Amino acid sequence: MARVYVSSVIGAPAEKVWERVRDFNGLPNWHPRIRDSRIEDALPSDKVGCIRSFHLQNGELIREKLLGLSDYDLYCTYEILESPMPLEEYVATLRLTPITDGARCFIEWSAEFSCDPENENKLVNGIAGDVFQTGFDALKRHFGR
Amino acid sequence: MVRVRRSTVLDAPIEDVWAVIRDFNGHDRWHPVVAKSFVERHRNSDEVGCVRNFRLKDGSVLREQLLALSDLEQTFSYCLLDTPVPLFNYVAHVRLAPVTDGDMTFWEWESQFDVPAGQDQALADLVGNDIYQAGFEAVRNHMGLGSET
Repeated sequence: MARVYVSSVIGAPAEKVWERVRDFNGLPNWHPRIRDSRIEDALPSDKVGCIRSFHLQNGELIREKLLGLSDYDLYCTYEILESPMPLEEYVATLRLTPITDGARCFIEWSAEFSCDPENENKLVNGIAGDVFQTGFDALKRHFGR
Repeated sequence: MVRVRRSTVLDAPIEDVWAVIRDFNGHDRWHPVVAKSFVERHRNSDEVGCVRNFRLKDGSVLREQLLALSDLEQTFSYCLLDTPVPLFNYVAHVRLAPVTDGDMTFWEWESQFDVPAGQDQALADLVGNDIYQAGFEAVRNHMGLGSET
């Protein structure tokens, strides 16, 4: 099983950052690599089990299913159903935790998946850098450090 | 049931912070309210189930039992056995996590417990401010770190 873990500190309270990242259909609003997104079957984007279908800026299509969403613990868990990446059984979680001694929060984005061992490093580095860290950098530009 | 949660970021790598707080018998070296600490029955401080016996600066005694310790997750949990303060069914969890884009450490300290009626806020503040937040500042000083926030 390959694992990816990236974390950072965002310069805004967890509730404010959660408002921005909670919408399972909202990636194009905050993540620079996502061009557009829609939820299949006209379901609400906070219905656990719904599927988002989105395009990267390069036109590639990814479909992901919402497995868990918590407004109490501030996390969102999802799996990939379809993507151009050579991987399987991909499950990821984006989680926020308040930092109580300042108006900041701790953000963690992790994933596990299986793949051909010869692709593992490239996939892990690509997901960690191009997807997770790029998303964090965009949030830090928006909210500050 | 009262829930207390405090968290901070230390400007040091996770291995360094874990090396300081991992020792269940080491809090007298950095925590301002703890004067002396020993582990009962000569057990090792990383033996899950061991009991630490604190003498506080005010002379009172507090006993706590280690419930879980993970070097993989950088977490530990413990409960209160005897305490001069009316905290019942007290279980606390400590977790460290790396801040991967800054070589810093996120530190969370939380607990749940019961208190006598009407003392919720006072005891939640005591635990959150005098124990947890004071502990964060003490470890910052102990490690020679500046106030990061």
